[in-house]
Amino acid sequence: MEELQKINRRNFIKVGGVASAAAALNINSLDAFANGRLQKLTILHTNDVHSRIEPFPMDGSRNQGLGGTARRSALIKKIRAEQENVLLLDAGDIFQGTPYFNKYGGELELKLMSQMKYDATTLGNHDFDNGIEGFYKQLPNANFPVLIANYDLTNTQLSKSTQPYKIFKKGGLKIGVFGLGIQLKGLVDPKNYGETQYLDPIAIANETAAKLKNDYKCDLVICLSHLGYAYRNNAVSDKVLAASTKNIDLIIGGHTHTFLDIPEDVKNLDGQITTINQVGFAGINLGRIDYYFEPYKAKKMKVGTPYLINNKLDA
Amino acid sequence: MISIKKPIYIFAFSALLFGSCRTKYALTKSNREEYKISSDIAVDSNIIKTYLPYKAKLDAEMNEVIGNTDVVLSKASTLPESVLGNFFADAVFNQVKKLLPQVDFVFPTTKGGLRNDIAKGEIKVSNIFELMPFENQLVMFNLKGSDVLKVVNYIAASNGQPVSGLRFNIKDKHAENIQINGKAFDVNVNYWVVASDYIASGGDDATGFATPISQKNIGLLVRDALLKEVKEFKAAGKSINTKLDGRITKN
Repeated sequence: MEELQKINRRNFIKVGGVASAAAALNINSLDAFANGRLQKLTILHTNDVHSRIEPFPMDGSRNQGLGGTARRSALIKKIRAEQENVLLLDAGDIFQGTPYFNKYGGELELKLMSQMKYDATTLGNHDFDNGIEGFYKQLPNANFPVLIANYDLTNTQLSKSTQPYKIFKKGGLKIGVFGLGIQLKGLVDPKNYGETQYLDPIAIANETAAKLKNDYKCDLVICLSHLGYAYRNNAVSDKVLAASTKNIDLIIGGHTHTFLDIPEDVKNLDGQITTINQVGFAGINLGRIDYYFEPYKAKKMKVGTPYLINNKLDA
Repeated sequence: MISIKKPIYIFAFSALLFGSCRTKYALTKSNREEYKISSDIAVDSNIIKTYLPYKAKLDAEMNEVIGNTDVVLSKASTLPESVLGNFFADAVFNQVKKLLPQVDFVFPTTKGGLRNDIAKGEIKVSNIFELMPFENQLVMFNLKGSDVLKVVNYIAASNGQPVSGLRFNIKDKHAENIQINGKAFDVNVNYWVVASDYIASGGDDATGFATPISQKNIGLLVRDALLKEVKEFKAAGKSINTKLDGRITKN
């Protein structure tokens, strides 16, 4: 892992002695591109937006003037106009943080996300701040799914309102996206999460990711996680999740409001790359990851062939 | 027979076409970038159109002047009490007593829950929301004297918390000379105590509320108690003038 990180600083990843395969692939990709068969997927993401509808006020505070849904939407529209295959994802804690939530209960947050055409979100702990009922009441304003695989909501009002995962089809690609939530006990008032049962995120993640990658043959598996980036104790976090699972390509994280300089690439249980990214909070940043794929015939290319990583977009 | 043959035929056909059920893709490259959402980015006026009616209504409400304070209500303090903490706790105590006159003392927030100071002058609704953004409820407890002692010693060990109706001195992180509602504390007496649901469920490691004789949700948000108090001061033609009064000392 240390080696991975070190190499990552040079914006390039090689795993073992198969770097030449990557180079060969790159040449092939020119052919694929010429044939129009190379597929590009653009992931855009936010986390912990916390009811920040407008930019932070100009009051001398650290984040003054940053964020705002109107700018985020304009940027997303621009990227959508340039890119064919875009997924817009959020990692939870949509609710709480400005009087917009206190007054309107999350109605506006979800309406604006729908207007921006978000593809999916997961459940953050603050999304329970008006109780299960408060979240349920606002769901008609969301025309995107809430993905959560490790909360059993059977005995709650949300029993039919969420799904563990969703498979998106974009330009011939299949992208499996699932959601993970944090332990609510001790964090959220018990009356607000009611009969929600928290299930082990590692076990659920392994099960769900294997299903998406092996059974449903997804080309990419993304986890929307509200577990938090990392902790000093051994509480489960995105770093623990990445190292303890396989079949997850990307973890879009939240909860800890972490501003990562660049996404972190962790070696997972399979020795493959699981990337973690989190973009602070309040919609101050929008994260973007472009993935390039090329078609291949069965058995010619092994799963988990190393791929090139750049911390900048192609010009 | 047909039901068995048909899928085999389809499989064979698709295998002929594609060599397998579907094209497989291999990940070959990943480029990452982050955008800062600053004033360099244009705005989507459709989004503003959506939120403007909400904003107008909210701003009108938030900018309403509901009272006045003659002093800065600040949480900054070198003592175990602060002006802001005293204002907060006294406001809740006053409002709670109107509903439940039997209440002996209140502990409605922790120091960490005091989110923002209020400047001298006009108090707007937004000031109260910034001070108390959370949706916490007030809960009334009937506590045994021994549990009250746990609560008070928690407050002493954490070098004072916002309280009203309670006075004591901190000595070596323990409470002494405890006075509740004007009378000396008696460990053999049961007391009526109001706290926020956050504190009552052990938030900020508060103790003493786990095994009450009884408990009851008052049906009043902490923030609503503060708003009512400020409005009532104004209605009576008075300004807030909270002072440090030695309710918690450390000698």
